Amino acid sequence: MTQPLLEISNLHVAINGTEILHGINLTVNAGEVHAIMGTNGSGKSTLTKVIAGHPDYVVTSGDIKLRGVSILEQEPEDRARAGVFLAFQYPVEVPGVSNMYFLRTALNAHRKHRGQPELSGAEFLALVKEKARLVDIDAGLLNRSVNEGFSGGEKKRNEILQCACWNRHWRSWMKPTAAWTSMP
Amino acid sequence: MAQNESIQALTEQEYKHGWVTHIDADQVPAGLSEDVVRLISGKKNEPEWLLQWRLRAYRHWLTMKEPTWQKPHYPKIDYQSVIYYSAPKPKKELSSLDEVDPELLATFEKLGISLDEQKRLSGVATNVAVDVVFDSVSVKTTFQEELKKAGIIFCSFSEAVHNHPELVKKYLGTVVPFTDNFFATLNSAVFSDGSFCYIPKGVRCPMELSTYFRINSAGTGQFERTLLIADEGSHVSYLEGCTAPSRDENQLHAAVVELVALKGSTIKYSTVQNWYPGDKDGKGGVYNFVTKRGMAEQDAKLSWTQVETGSAITWKYPSCILKGDNSVGEFYSVAMTRDYQQADTGTKMIHIGRNTKSTIISKGISAGHGDQTYRGQVKILKSATGARNFSACDSLLLGDKCGAHTVPYIESNNAGAVIEHEASTSKISDEQIFFLRQRGLSEEDAVNLIVNGFCKDVLSELPMEFAVEAQKLLGLKLEGAVG
Ligand SMILES: Nc1ncnc2c1ncn2[C@@H]1O[C@H](COP(=O)(O)OP(=O)(O)O)[C@@H](O)[C@H]1O
Ligand SMILES: [Mg+2]
Repeated sequence: MTQPLLEISNLHVAINGTEILHGINLTVNAGEVHAIMGTNGSGKSTLTKVIAGHPDYVVTSGDIKLRGVSILEQEPEDRARAGVFLAFQYPVEVPGVSNMYFLRTALNAHRKHRGQPELSGAEFLALVKEKARLVDIDAGLLNRSVNEGFSGGEKKRNEILQCACWNRHWRSWMKPTAAWTSMP
Repeated sequence: MAQNESIQALTEQEYKHGWVTHIDADQVPAGLSEDVVRLISGKKNEPEWLLQWRLRAYRHWLTMKEPTWQKPHYPKIDYQSVIYYSAPKPKKELSSLDEVDPELLATFEKLGISLDEQKRLSGVATNVAVDVVFDSVSVKTTFQEELKKAGIIFCSFSEAVHNHPELVKKYLGTVVPFTDNFFATLNSAVFSDGSFCYIPKGVRCPMELSTYFRINSAGTGQFERTLLIADEGSHVSYLEGCTAPSRDENQLHAAVVELVALKGSTIKYSTVQNWYPGDKDGKGGVYNFVTKRGMAEQDAKLSWTQVETGSAITWKYPSCILKGDNSVGEFYSVAMTRDYQQADTGTKMIHIGRNTKSTIISKGISAGHGDQTYRGQVKILKSATGARNFSACDSLLLGDKCGAHTVPYIESNNAGAVIEHEASTSKISDEQIFFLRQRGLSEEDAVNLIVNGFCKDVLSELPMEFAVEAQKLLGLKLEGAVG
């Protein structure tokens, strides 16, 4: 049988000594799309951040496996390079760093991890242009600082652009569109 | 918190230029007296007028008190234990590179400074003429012949005293008088060498000029003096770099830089300062107490850009006296302090002429126990109708043991002047770092990216090749084991 892409078993998570997730089980196979629903404060955001390795959360028991390998001991960047992509609910601004430069730096980090050579300037430009068209993002945003002064919608599109640029595997969408939000 | 630990580790990178060159030095005995001033002047075969100028400075210095208004604290300096002159032996006129001590050549090669005109600096597209100052003397100036064709004089200060005494006499002390301040006055008495540059009327200097300072000997102070004159309508870009060996005792560096920008000229002066900062417990390091000032005549432009990463204490205020109408002053600064480094730096913009304009962009980065103060003065005289100033001072804190302070002094005597001041203090947030790591960057690269973004407005002012160097230097300073 093929291995599940993601396998979460009996996951308990605490922050500042308070347990927030009390034994989550979830199996996701390649090609599947899952939506996790729950009332406000039930722990959806917590789950996605724990998968991505946010340092504030402590896994007290249980396991998270990506393609059969536990990722609990991995740094956030290792998980990212292995294919975990977290679309942020509130994408972070990085003043003074152009979106283009950021995309390229991050893409090269992924390529290095895969043993691929860095893309040349021209190759990178072609890739970004194609992906920008795909996610229908205004090309002007590429030369601005990462997320700085972007509208809410532009930030979300920018998240999808990043995912499209370097990810081939599994994605966890945290509220990528307004329609999915359960917030009032 | 996890982030504090990693930032701490990140900023505990070792200093890379801490080695010592073993070379015989011709030194004067430690201590300061009229005799020592005469000895230094004599060693340099100086004309009487310069000796007298030094002696007037020395006598004035005896009446002065060391200032105490600055934020950084340091143990009392014993001025009688400092060696005021140290030159690598043998000291003879160098006519070709072959005569430079191979130890010295190796020293500068190791620092990435090529004294060989055939070689270009690694990764540098255009040529850069370099004057290198080792302890108290200039050992070699490259590309002098080529510059001479354009009428440009670029040489050591000592050479200028002998070959162009009329220029030195005319401009020395006109921007920073020997009575200026405790350290500038000390420098005026004992300065040993430095760079001199004159750009004739209407000439655009065809290459970057640069001076590279290296303190090598123990117990020596470095007191160099730079005098740069841009004649009417000329244009020059100048860069200064500095390093020193790691030593347990503190070393004093009290330099003076005078810029004279005559009518319609432009001087761009960039510094990448990387003196030994002391060890991670705050032991040793260079005291960098420097007076830098420029005078701009009508339609002239002075632009200071500095990247200050080294020294135990940095204390300097590259300033502009905007004397002529329509003259422009700029100050772009990045200062980074970590471990126990202290920096008190900023600028003074003195608006005298009409429609004078000044811009101040200061970026301070503190990590570890680093502490820094931006201290800036904007002074608009009554005569400066139509004057404008814009200042933006931003501080970035890495971790929670460091400090940043902003002390602006604004004085306007002309109601029509427009002065704007912005200041901000921010921390690298955990969320920023997590975001970037989630995108596949290591923690180190994440911090680097954020810091570089923070400094962008200043780094973009540096000449291309030095911007790359400065970026690397900031990176190195942040580099280290993570986690
Ligand atoms: N940093 C934190 N400190 C303390 N409690 C937290 C923290 N983050 C989340 N929580 C708590 O964890 C619970 C789950 O929150 P969250 O995962 O954001 O829920 P959801 O995304 O499903 O609305 C909430 O009760 C919330 O208050
Ligand atoms: Mg949520």
